[in-house]
Formats: sequence, C-alpha cells, structure tokens
Amino acid sequence: MSSQNNDHSHSHHYILPDSKAIKTAIALLILTGVTVALSYVHLGRFNFLVGMIVATMKASLVAGIFMNLAKDRRSNLVIFLTSFVFLGVFVVLTSTDLLYRGDVYVKGPLIRDTGVSKFKKSWEPSPELVAHGKAIFAQQCVACHGVEGKGDGPAAAALNPHPQNFHVNEGWKNGRKPSQIFKTLKEGIPGSAMASFATLPMDDRWGLTHYVESLGTEILKDTTQDLAAIGIDPTKESAGSDVAKSIPIDIAIKRTAVDGDKNSQNTAEGHPELESYNNRLKSKTFSK
Amino acid sequence: MANTNTPEVHGDNYLNYSKGLWSWLTTRDHKRIGLMYLATVLTFFLVGGIFALLIRIELFTPGKTIVDAVTYNKFFTYHGAIMVFLVIIPAIPGAIGNFVLPMMLGARDVAFPKLNLLSYYLYLAGAIFAVVSLFAGGADTGWTFYTPYSIKTSGTVILVVFGAFIAGFASILTGLNFIVSIHKLRAPGLTWSRLPLMLWALYATSVMQVLATPVLAITLLLLIFERVTHIGIFDPALGGDAVLFQHFFWFYSHPAVYIMILPAMGVIAEIIPVFSRKPMFGYRAIALSSFGIALVAFLVWGHHMFVTGQSELANFVFSLLTMFVAVPTGVKVFSWVATMYKGSIRFNAPMLYAMGFIELFTIGGLTGVFLATLSINVHLTDTYFVIAHFHYVMVGGTIMGLLGGMHYWFPKVIGKMYNEVSARIAFIFVIIGFNLTFFPQFIAGAEGMPRRYWSYLPEFTLWNQLSTIGSWFLAAGFFYTAYYLIRDARKGPKSGDNPWEALTLEWQTPSPPPHENFKEIPIVETWPYDYKPTAGLKS
Amino acid sequence: MSHPMNPEVGNHVHHHAHHFSSAEHEFETAKEGMWVFMVTEVLMVGALFVGYVIFRALYPEAFHEAHKLLNVKLGALNTVVLIVSSMTMVLGVGAAQRGNNKKALTMLGITIGLGFCFLIVKYFEYSHKFHEGMLTAGFFTFDGLSASTSHVPLFFSFYFMMTGIHAFHVIVGMCLITWMIIRIRRGEITPAFYTPVELVGFYWHFVDIVWIYLFPLLYLLG
Repeated sequence: MSSQNNDHSHSHHYILPDSKAIKTAIALLILTGVTVALSYVHLGRFNFLVGMIVATMKASLVAGIFMNLAKDRRSNLVIFLTSFVFLGVFVVLTSTDLLYRGDVYVKGPLIRDTGVSKFKKSWEPSPELVAHGKAIFAQQCVACHGVEGKGDGPAAAALNPHPQNFHVNEGWKNGRKPSQIFKTLKEGIPGSAMASFATLPMDDRWGLTHYVESLGTEILKDTTQDLAAIGIDPTKESAGSDVAKSIPIDIAIKRTAVDGDKNSQNTAEGHPELESYNNRLKSKTFSK
Repeated sequence: MANTNTPEVHGDNYLNYSKGLWSWLTTRDHKRIGLMYLATVLTFFLVGGIFALLIRIELFTPGKTIVDAVTYNKFFTYHGAIMVFLVIIPAIPGAIGNFVLPMMLGARDVAFPKLNLLSYYLYLAGAIFAVVSLFAGGADTGWTFYTPYSIKTSGTVILVVFGAFIAGFASILTGLNFIVSIHKLRAPGLTWSRLPLMLWALYATSVMQVLATPVLAITLLLLIFERVTHIGIFDPALGGDAVLFQHFFWFYSHPAVYIMILPAMGVIAEIIPVFSRKPMFGYRAIALSSFGIALVAFLVWGHHMFVTGQSELANFVFSLLTMFVAVPTGVKVFSWVATMYKGSIRFNAPMLYAMGFIELFTIGGLTGVFLATLSINVHLTDTYFVIAHFHYVMVGGTIMGLLGGMHYWFPKVIGKMYNEVSARIAFIFVIIGFNLTFFPQFIAGAEGMPRRYWSYLPEFTLWNQLSTIGSWFLAAGFFYTAYYLIRDARKGPKSGDNPWEALTLEWQTPSPPPHENFKEIPIVETWPYDYKPTAGLKS
Repeated sequence: MSHPMNPEVGNHVHHHAHHFSSAEHEFETAKEGMWVFMVTEVLMVGALFVGYVIFRALYPEAFHEAHKLLNVKLGALNTVVLIVSSMTMVLGVGAAQRGNNKKALTMLGITIGLGFCFLIVKYFEYSHKFHEGMLTAGFFTFDGLSASTSHVPLFFSFYFMMTGIHAFHVIVGMCLITWMIIRIRRGEITPAFYTPVELVGFYWHFVDIVWIYLFPLLYLLG
C-alpha cells in the first residue's frame, strides 16, 4: 500500500470483454453441474470438502473475473481475503468448545471408575492411602479448605457456613469417623457449599478420608455397624464401586431448560443422547 | 463539496461557514459531524451516568434502598448498554476521530462524507430505540443479553437489541470510512512511518470495527428472530445451545473493548510527546502494537466464558491466548513512560489526564491478567472484582482519554482556551472520586461479593458505602468539567492557532479551522514527534 | 442540478468531490470502500455459516435427513438463474463503461428480471415448506421423519434464516439496479464516470457468491 493519492497518471480501466464474461458464465454453469453430480457420489466425509472446493472455485471466478480482482490492485484482494481469515478463527475457536464438550483432558470428576481398586480393604488406613489422599486433596479441596486443611482456602472467605477446619474437633456435621467423612464426601452437605464428590473413584475418596482423618488430633476407628451403614462388608477385599455417573454439560443444559431441577439423580435412563455419550466414553482410555 | 450555486457569504471557519440548524443537520463536514457526535455522546454519558448513580444509591445499604430487584436489574442493563454501545464505543472515534483524522492526514474530509453523516444518524436512531425501549418498560437481561433468559423474559428486549443493531452499523461505516481515508487521502510525503500515532490507533480500531461488528449484528438479529419466530439456535428447549450465543456475542464484544481503548491510547500517544517536549520513544513499536492488539483481540473471547460449561480444551486455549494480549499493551505503556523520562513536563490538563490514564489503565490491565488466569477466574468471575477491572480500563482508560483529548483539542475546535485552574480542580475530583468508587470494588469482589445483585451480605457494606461516596465525587468532577468547558467555549480567551506548539498537521492550520481544512494541501517532510526540549515554551 | 434526458449517451459532466485530487482518485477510493464493505458482509453472513457448520457437525444424522426434504432441482435452477444474472450484470456494466447506454439498460433490465425469477422460485419453495409444516424450530410440525432425528427443526431454522437474509439482499440488489437504470436514463453515467454502476455490480456478484456456497451446503451436503 503506497501513498499514491495525488498520482495523476491515467491508469487504464480494464473493461471486461463480453466474450470473456460469457465464457466465465459457461464455466460457472459447468461447475454447478459438477457440484450436483459429485453430491451423488458417496465419498463419505470428503463430500463436504469436495463440495466446498468446487464452490470456492466458482466464487473465485466470480470475484476474480466478474469483480475484476484478478487484474485490480493487490490491496483489494488482501482486504477481501482477510475477512475469511477471521471467519476461520471464529469457526475454529468456537469448535474447540462446541465439538469437545464432555471430553476429558485433565483429571476430574468425569473419570470413569473401573471398579478395580488399587488398595485392598481401602476403608482401613495405610500410609499409601494417606499419601494418595493428600495428592487428591491438593487438587480438589484446597480452594475451600486451605492448603493445610484449616478451612482457610481462598474461596473460604465468601462461604457461609465456613469450610471445616480439619484440625479441630468442633463443627463436623456428620462426625469425624472415617465412615462419616466418607459419607460426607459421597453426599455433600445440603445447605452448604460442600458438594457431593461421588464422581470421584472409590480409591480417591478413601484416600481423602484417611488423609483428612490424619489431620486431626486423634485417629478414630469405625465399628462394623459404621461400615455397614455405608454399605461396606469388612469381610470382602474391595469396597466395590459406587461412582455416580456424570452427564455432559450440553445435556445438563438441556435438562435444566426442559424440566428444571426435578431430575437431579444423574442417570442415563430415558436419554438416548446420554447413552451414545456413554458408548463414546467406553471406547476411550483415560489416564489416571 | 461545493454545494451551493447561489452566491452566499461564508464565514472564515467551519463554525460560521454556513448558518442555521438545517446546515448543521445536513452537513457533510467531518468537523461538524464530529461535534454532533460529541454532543450526543455526552448526553448519553449523562443518562448512563444517572443510572450508575442510581445503582450506587441502591447499593448503599444491603436490601432495598430505593427500588425493588427487578427495577435494579433494568438499571444495570441500561447503564451497561448505554455506556457500551452509545458512549464508549462511538466517543473517541466519532467525536475526536472524525474531527481530527482528516486534518492529521492533510486532507479536506474523510473518504465518504455522506456516509459519515449517515453513520451519525444511524447512531442517533439506535440511541432512540434504546430510549424508547426504556420507556416501554425496559429490559432486565444485563447488557450481554444472555440466552435463554433473554429469549424468555417479558421485558422490551427486542427494542433495545434492535437499537444496538442499528447503532452497530454506525460503527461499521465509521470504521470503513477511516480505513479508506487512511489508505487513500494521505497528503504528499505522509508516509506510513510519519503517520501520527493517533491515526495508527484509529486505523487498528477501524479494522476491528469492520471485522467484528457485523458478527454482533447477526447475533442480535438472531436473538430477535429467536423471540419472534423461535428459531431455537440458542434455546436449549428447542435443541439449540445457549453457550453458542455467548460465543457469537463475545466474538464481537471482546474486540469491542479494544475498540474502546485503542483510540484512547492514540490520544495519549499524541499528548505525551507534546507535553514532555521529547521525541516519542518507540514510535514503531507503538504503531505496530496497535495492530498486535487488534489481532490478538480476536483470539481471546472465550475468557468471558470460563465458567459457562465450555469445554476444558476451549478454556485452556483461551486462557493461554489471553496472556498474549498483555504484551503489545505493555509495549505501549513502557514506551509512553520512556518518552516522559527526562522530558520537560508541562502539567496542563491533557497531560494530567494522560498520566491518570497510565495509572488507572495499568491497574485495570494488570487485574485483567489475574482474570485471564483460568484457576483464579473461577473464583473471581461474576464478582465485583470483574466490575472493578473493567471500570478501571473503560473509565480510567477510555474516559480519561476522552477528557484528555477534549482538553487537548479544545483550542483547535473552538479557537479558545479552557481555564487551567478549573481543569485541575475537576481533575482532582475525577481521579480521587474514581479511585474511591472502584478500588473498594476490587476488595469486595475478592471477598466474594457477586455482581448484578440487588442486595449483598452485611460484611460488604463498608466497601459499598465507600464506593457510593466515591461516585458522588466522580459525578461532581464530571459535572464541573461540563460546566467550565461550556463556559470557556463561550467566553474563554483566544487560544491562538497552535498553543501547545505541536507538530502534527492539524495544528498547522488555523484554530478553529476553515471549512476546507487547508488552503493548500500540505506537503509533509518530517516526522511529527521531533520535539526539541529547548523549543519556546508557554506554560 | 438539472440533467438532460438523453438515453443514448450520457453527457453529464461529473465533478469529483473537493477532497479528491482527481476523478481517478475518487473512483479508486470508492472501489476500495466497496471491498471493505464486502468484508463486513462476509463476516455477517459468514457467522450464520459458522453456526450452521457447527450444528451440522454436532447432529450429522438429523441434518442429513432434513436436507433431503429440500428440492434440489429448484435450488439448482436458482443457482443457474443467479449465475446468468451475474453475467448479464457484467455485460451491462461493460456496456455502460463503453458508453452503450441502450445495451446497458437492456442488460440491467434482464438482471432484474432474473432476480424476480429467483424470488418466484423461492416463493414456491417457501410456500411448500409452510404447507408441510416445515418451519422454524419452535413452529415445526412436520412429522415425516424418524424419531432419532430430533434436531431436524434446527436445520430448517438455519435454512430460513440463511436463505431469507440472502433473499433480502437480492431484493436490495434489485432496488439498487433499478436506481442505476434511472441514473443511466438521466445521462449521469458516462465512460468517464461509471463508478456507481460498477459498484452495484460488485454487490450483485457478492449476492451470487453467497448463493454459490449456500446451495451446496444446504441442498446437497446436508
């Protein structure tokens, strides 16, 4: 782009010859026929690409010859093509959201639990479980409960009731025994900001339980009745699997719009889209 | 354009060139159009400001203070919509840009003067629709019109959205006009490396206006069709996606915030070398950074949507890309400060506003980096922290730029000088009032106070009351500014043609300028920032 | 300013505006302005394409089933109509550039006529859809498809929005061409000044380009 605005030289204006106009129109009509014909050939996913390529060829003929872009200043072509670049940005970045909902890239509640536990009798504490729980705690809990579990995390200031300080004996809504901590993790505490973490695998939840227990002044023990109350059979080796299935955001949005909060059970029944989502999940592997 | 064939006596400047209201309403003169924009923008600044004061009065106490919650929702909807669409976006390009751009180019007008007039009337029409919607009951959706609420609510959504739709075309046409003007109307010798930074800023702004605003247009049109014909694209109940609306909306609205700030940065870049009597440091970097900002502006809109249920991939991508926008912005701030270093500073009002801009915009900009950080955004989103952030950049940024520019070019536009003492008093009220209004909002937000809430927990009362008191100082500063500017426009002393001894082309023609801007088109031979510190000074 | 009515050759002398250095300067500036305007149209219309493409990627079976309900023959006919109209437009502009006003008027008249053909075909398509209950999503009542294609109504929402806005631009284009016919008859268009006609031609070609993409996307590849 040069500053040429006082250039008095008479640049000859190109006038498109009639014959060229007619030939271009014939080419466009032929390409239209090609487009229609190709649409009947089954190329699978390539049908779309081929169709768009032919359309672009036609558009280029119209722009280049009818609109004289081929012979005009380069700057006009640059201006016109720039618009498509930004349109491309729009579609690509929007697709990173719309087409990737519900896929998993980081650890979080959408991990599917396979039901196989790495820890035997995970309802009993062990140094490995506590270490495992500490790692999960740093990801899931510190925002509210604080780095040391003192109930002083950055989000805590805004919460009422206040997040529990795990180092003291006062305030535990459900009690401080491991089975009671486990129950809190599974159900959350209604009327507070403590959500249900039932979507975490059992190993993670038992690890958290034992870690949180270890932060207190004494380690409490569960009785057989305590364990039975949360569905654990102490004669078995494994705690089994009771991970709640979570649903993808787009389906959650739909259900919120359609039936409000009535069905907050997080099941797949009656939702064909959810079934297909679960099938897609099955075919992938997840890092743990 | 010679538009008369009856002999008519024309005055010697654009103000008295032709007389009568009709000659103003049908003018093609960019200078008159700029003044019409200014008058309308400032009128709506008053209207939007009144809504702001009402909001702050309501928030003086938790619970109801003066109005109920639904009315309160309409207050912040109209405060936002009016300020964004009718004030901050059009203000500097429409009022200052229209006036100054052709003269800085050494041209007699913009490329398409009639289109320029059409732009103004489209802006006015959009504004009228917004006002009508208010009297018809008002919308309560927030200025962002998020679906599905905006589809279902019974407020006057269609009217206000249609107003924004029409006003958007004003923005598009202004951008188109400026781009083509800068390409085609530069005076001989005005090469790209001699282009004033205000024009680089307006050029980048115009590119953004032309690329982004059409997407807003279609988004608002789709919203209207949603309400009327139930197309369902954004309505989950019909199979659509509510978050898709936000993608469409923010694809425009994020570049819009740079459309708001970049012209103000252009104003600052003009003021600082003049009032430091030093060559501009980093001219090339500042010029290119305007385009850097314009480019990155289009890549980051998803950072308004981190907690909407967007995919994790999108969250990651947008957070990463948002970090980049701080780079060209920082380049500007550092270059301005480096220009001031070891300069001989004159603390006239334009310079005070420029320095105020640097302080407030830096705070606002840095808090933007906090918000761009995904993990922190999750806690701060939809709190008063966000509100404080964008008011620091939009008011502390753009309005400072507007006021600085109004004072800087006041003598050019009117031919008279404003009173410096009055200006300094007003500035003190503005800067103190602004910080008192908005800094407590950072604290309240970090402590968790949500935004767009009619009430709040008692622990936030102190911050809210400080903020409300601050708003009264700020309003006083603005009202006083309006008073003395009008007073001095009528009765101020003559300023002379170039009271600031500036080097850009608009100052090389009489103040106020003649209808045709220049007797002869100037030939440019020098860089416009070649200030020598020992040039004769007027204080 | 009065203009002699002279349909053969325009003899009006065009004065370029005071802020341009020459007629050439004014012409090049107007042309660039038109291309910048094209950018805004690409983004506006393109955003609709973006929405369509994304939903098509999300619900491919529904969109596939839905597109079969469109009439490919009528869509192809309209494509031919618009291509021929672009040709007649260009022939008309060329005639005006050479000073052959009679031919220019004929060609522009044919272009408008072809525009009417396009709209009439669209009228038949739309009325058939309305009759069958194939409307926008909220009003969709057609039930000739299987239950698994629950997002079919969304396809029709896009169909109506995209072809509707396109048809609106066709109507605007026809009005602009009519205005050009008036100006040519007034003698305002000469070989020395034909900017308006050329730029209206650009607008018409752009409308054609949009249809070139709409037709395969909606009718063939759904």
